[in-house]
Amino acid sequence: MSEKSNSRRSFLKKSAAALVGATVFPSIIPASAMGKNGFVAPSNRIEMALVGSGGMGRGNMKNALRNKAVELVALCDVDKKQIERSQKLIIESRGKSEAREYEDFRQLLDNEKLDAAILALPDHWHSIIACNVANKGIHIYGEKPLARTISEGRAIVDSVNANNIIWQTGSWQRSIKNFRTAVNLVRNGVIGEVTHVEVGLPDGRKPIGTPAIQSPPEGVNWDMWLGPAPKVPFRGVMHFNWRWIMDYSGGQLTDWAGHHVDIAHWGLGYDNKSPIEVEGKGVYPIEGIYNVPVEYDFTCKYDTGVNMRVANASAYSNRRGKGTDAKNKRGGMGTVWYGEKGWIHVDRSGLWASSQDILDTPESLIKEPVYFSGNHMENFIDCVKSSKETITPAHVAHNSISVGLLGEIAMLTNQKLLWDGNTERFTNSEQANRLLSRPFRSPWQLPQ
Amino acid sequence: MIQSIKTIIQLAFLVLVVSLASCGKKQQNVLIITGQNNHNWKASHVALQKTLETSELFTVDVAITPNKGEDMSGFKPDFTLYDVVLLDYNGDNWPQETQSNFEKFVSNGGGVVVIHAADNSFPEWEEYNKIIGLGGWGKRNEKDGPYVRWQNGEVVRDNSPGKGGMHGKKDQFVVDNRMPEHPIMKGIPAKCMHAYDELYAKLRGPAENMEVLATAFSPKKTGGTGYHEPVLFTINYGKGRVFHNVFGHVGKDSNTVAFKSAFFVYTLLRGTEWAATGEVTQALPEDMPNSVTPLILPNYKAFTINDLFRNASKYKVGESVKYLNLISERIKKYSDNPRELAKIEDKIIQLLNDEQATADAKNYLCRELSWMGSENCISALKDLENDVLTNEMAQFAISRLSAKN
Repeated sequence: MSEKSNSRRSFLKKSAAALVGATVFPSIIPASAMGKNGFVAPSNRIEMALVGSGGMGRGNMKNALRNKAVELVALCDVDKKQIERSQKLIIESRGKSEAREYEDFRQLLDNEKLDAAILALPDHWHSIIACNVANKGIHIYGEKPLARTISEGRAIVDSVNANNIIWQTGSWQRSIKNFRTAVNLVRNGVIGEVTHVEVGLPDGRKPIGTPAIQSPPEGVNWDMWLGPAPKVPFRGVMHFNWRWIMDYSGGQLTDWAGHHVDIAHWGLGYDNKSPIEVEGKGVYPIEGIYNVPVEYDFTCKYDTGVNMRVANASAYSNRRGKGTDAKNKRGGMGTVWYGEKGWIHVDRSGLWASSQDILDTPESLIKEPVYFSGNHMENFIDCVKSSKETITPAHVAHNSISVGLLGEIAMLTNQKLLWDGNTERFTNSEQANRLLSRPFRSPWQLPQ
Repeated sequence: MIQSIKTIIQLAFLVLVVSLASCGKKQQNVLIITGQNNHNWKASHVALQKTLETSELFTVDVAITPNKGEDMSGFKPDFTLYDVVLLDYNGDNWPQETQSNFEKFVSNGGGVVVIHAADNSFPEWEEYNKIIGLGGWGKRNEKDGPYVRWQNGEVVRDNSPGKGGMHGKKDQFVVDNRMPEHPIMKGIPAKCMHAYDELYAKLRGPAENMEVLATAFSPKKTGGTGYHEPVLFTINYGKGRVFHNVFGHVGKDSNTVAFKSAFFVYTLLRGTEWAATGEVTQALPEDMPNSVTPLILPNYKAFTINDLFRNASKYKVGESVKYLNLISERIKKYSDNPRELAKIEDKIIQLLNDEQATADAKNYLCRELSWMGSENCISALKDLENDVLTNEMAQFAISRLSAKN
């Protein structure tokens, strides 16, 4: 990064420092520095690339393009169609696009001088690309879950720290009022000491059999899509549905742990705390190409005595009062904290509590409100400008997804596992320790 | 087909003698009654017989009645020779004497197993309906007893008027184990997918001394009721025990896939033993169906570890991956048991060394070895490294096993 000390990025950092200084020593910033007529001065622009331009990536890019400081200068994908769709989106937003197109992220990194990148890749690609991007000193908005394995997540956190870049994880529920309100209530003691937590994530996908081998669609570099994952012929399972195959993902569990487990941790104040014990059972398909668990149910124990159960929503079917009680339409999804004085349940569709009083808690009683972010992408852009830590930095995302990945290993080994969060090793199973990382297909490896 | 007017009883003496000698345990004697049915009884009774016999827990005779409309007066099986009478029959009335012998047999402690359309039979025979608990069709309605359903966690009896018996489209169904502590159901998963079958609904009958062991949801969108319908239940009649399974459909195509479903096989064997003795002493099979895919047992019996590996060794991607996945399930089951796990690893090593085994099977098992393998498997993996079809997954396993932990 130091080799590019005159880049716009370091200018951004310096000017951000000046802005922070401004709050202490008021000074006048000339309007000319900010550009005119709504245009952003080149010096304040954030030149951004999108790596992985599927549905999630385009959604994130759309949010970023709402900020006039952002300029989308490059698109990278192994599927040309996805790039075309992204170009259209840029044109819709900005009237034109000058984004350069890449199939290989290594060429992107060699050719472009970027301030920031949005990464929205299948999980099996997260660590290699994130570490390489971080090593270029480029700030990252990276999709959740942070990584496919715990050791890869650790590598990302280390790269982010070593390069001192800004990282925002796509755990956007942290920037939504419902979740923030719930977390503020829990953290400010409204339900007393929390004794246990229930996290409900979506039920697994039903099997589809094993589709026949077929040619990859035109414009798709299948070998590059597979990257570090074992080489297999193309069977039509690529965008979106990669999530049901363990070579690429842990399924709904690892997808959604980055949301509702993340919120559970936030409420508990456990952004830096890992479980000490994990045990559970998964139901795996007997037939077909999909092999992630279709049902999963495990429990983590923390050294505070708190237990957290994580399961697919149907496991909580007894909880729901759907249909019979209009006010109590909560289902199995979301995060429920149970405390000595009641419970709070939050999900994308609502916020519930054991009593109305809890929900009516006056704001004055929220003595220590949590980090505020009203817009997840804006929070990232603000932090890139100000060098402040985002609401979901890499180490927090690593801690959240580790719960999902620990559960995955506990179910795969069917063992009661003891976890040392400091060394990030199991203390009672070498078999389980082997599953903390996965071999990459040659020539792929994490940057040394 | 020309049917002898007399009862035909097939005696399986050889099986009896051999299996008695081999297991040393008393076998229960079962009489299957069939010969008339609105279903393909020629296929179904053979499937039932095979299932019971291959378990080596039962000896089986088959009593085939005269054809529909023929003289039934000679149909007089001696029930007292058997521990269990299995009903695969839906047809003409038996002679009065046979009916009353059957009632006596059950009330004196005989066991009964009722399969599918046997509960359509004899709508007018009052004691029969008490024995089977619930029945359908044959003008059954509110006069015959309540509908029985599972609602809000309990058995609910509904006396409202209406016809007894219907079913939606054939399908696979998730069966909920409602009495996991019952000897028949102990160890059967909470939810089992049962293979392509007909789910009876709206059955009604006396439902006296009845316990519902399992239910399945009958979806409205495929012509069902929208209720959780009882599919396995027991009835106590006098001293006798009845195990009733509403599943077991087989049509003109002679497709007996429902009878090969692990859920069906396991509960039939357990239910028949329970009907005979009131206990279930047979070991729980290793491989269980789950809530997603029915587990089909091609030979009507639980797999042995050798079965799994023999079949797994032929695996080609795109064909059934069942046997390999069942090996994975066994690895999970025994991952805390070094002795059992070592046995499985030995089997895997044998397969890796087997030149007849497919590369796809070997590649699959390399992934398992990568976390559960010991030093013992390294040399077999190294051999696979020399084969272009297996070298990548062999390297995967070696690399993970040799990583410094």
